[in-house]
Amino acid sequence: MPFAPVFRSEWLKIRTVRSLLATLLVLFAATTAFSALATLDPEDQDADPLFAALSGTALGQIAAITFGSLAVSAEYREGAAVRLSLTAVPRRGLWFAAKAAAIAAVVLVVALVTSLTALLAGLAGLGDAADGLTTADQVRGVVGGAVYLTLMALFAAGLATLLRSGMATLSVLIPFVLIVSFVIGDALGAVADFMPDRAGQTVLRSVPEGTLGPWTGLGVTACWTAAALLAGAWRLRRQDA
Amino acid sequence: MGPVHHADAMTSIDVRDLTKEYGTRRAVDDLTFTVPPGRVTGFLGPNGAGKSTTMRLVLGLDHPTSGAAALGGRPYASLREPLRTVGALLDPGAALGSRTGRDHLRILAATHRIPDRRVAEVLEETGLAPAARRRVRTYSLGMRQRLGIAAALLGDPEVVMLDEPSNGLDPEGIVWIRGLLRRLADEGRTVLVSSHLMNETASFADHLVVLGRGRLLADTSLREFIDARVRPAVRVRTSDPDALENVLARHGHQAVRHPDGHWTVPDARLDDIGRLASAEGVPLLELAAAEGTLEQAYLDLTAAETEFVTQSQEA
Repeated sequence: MPFAPVFRSEWLKIRTVRSLLATLLVLFAATTAFSALATLDPEDQDADPLFAALSGTALGQIAAITFGSLAVSAEYREGAAVRLSLTAVPRRGLWFAAKAAAIAAVVLVVALVTSLTALLAGLAGLGDAADGLTTADQVRGVVGGAVYLTLMALFAAGLATLLRSGMATLSVLIPFVLIVSFVIGDALGAVADFMPDRAGQTVLRSVPEGTLGPWTGLGVTACWTAAALLAGAWRLRRQDA
Repeated sequence: MGPVHHADAMTSIDVRDLTKEYGTRRAVDDLTFTVPPGRVTGFLGPNGAGKSTTMRLVLGLDHPTSGAAALGGRPYASLREPLRTVGALLDPGAALGSRTGRDHLRILAATHRIPDRRVAEVLEETGLAPAARRRVRTYSLGMRQRLGIAAALLGDPEVVMLDEPSNGLDPEGIVWIRGLLRRLADEGRTVLVSSHLMNETASFADHLVVLGRGRLLADTSLREFIDARVRPAVRVRTSDPDALENVLARHGHQAVRHPDGHWTVPDARLDDIGRLASAEGVPLLELAAAEGTLEQAYLDLTAAETEFVTQSQEA
């Protein structure tokens, strides 16, 4: 069974559900609006200008996480749509890969547009404070920020497949990125730099703060995502649908 | 619908020594049967007998504890384009409420590169064309069943497996599905339809596979199943009940009188009772063979089964 038609089917699944498209709209709006507002605050002017301009990413990731969970959990609602999906595509690994790829492709495109818009809005807000930023920093921030959002959506998708529930996934991940990472993060010091959200967000800084560089930080997040996807794939393949 | 298939190209469902345990509960217990093409096989048993589990095992959705199920000799998971071999309706709730019926089918069709033209065909065939662009959450249960059947027919499959397809259908829908099942079987396809409703199953099935508590209770034609379990009887109505009773008693028949005035004569043949009444001058208003029903046959079978289970538990 070839990959392309299964990918197309999974893409159609996303395209035909309004609530999923709405989360992508929220991803764009929340990220850009928050970035624009944050850079207008004069107290933050001496902070890292790249991080300030892309600060909406921290809010946008909640929409990315929601998107990843809902895209998967639609299969596990009452009626077990996953069974119908797997009768059409009995090779479960292939099916899951196509679903993850469709989620990744959609989020990456939306996130690239979002990060770029957020950066432009942020730079406008910062004015002179952004003068020190190189083009390389800006490109890295936009691409890295988009990849980060994509990885968080996939992290949620993997976890939702493992837990077979969107609600369970959201009630683990959203408090985690909103509270736990901040509160425990400061207490744990260097270990916190390796948390999935904190590690990846180093790519948004023009000058790295912790132990990880921008791309290695993103790499750490990618490892978390890979682990979540593998765990999801493991449950999907092993268990009765 | 697609071309008429030929028997040599067709696919049967083969279930061999199939067992499925959930924890300590045996949902399917050492089941062996074959569903051949060209006829409608009714998959009969009370709720919880293991019909749906068996179907999920055949589709490779659940992993068997032991044994195997195959389609034309191959496990479902090894089929290259499964929707072109098997069409299944498991749960009419599988369609997401926020999608339109048409999009639901297009998503399935995309996996097999089935064109939109075919989606339109099955929508037409199941009577859903006018509602195709409405969201599934606005559908009645009967319409969801039709959508599930449309999904099953999408790949023009050689094997059609439907789990309780008449649930929620209106009387018109039930007549429609009867005709559809007949046509699919006449085209040479393999048709397996589960139901817990006796009269419904009797109206469409040629053959029966009967389950109880996960075990195979019968695998036989509908006619044989009934004839073997329900004794033939004759139904008689007369204007002179006393004379009839007298005559029948003299010839050794234990006739039973029913409140509405008709009599049934068990273990009797139509010809004998007719001749007898004529010779004795008993006026007859009605004389007919009382056909056994699937329900009677089924209850007889399950009564015997319950007795067997009780005895073996006591032993």
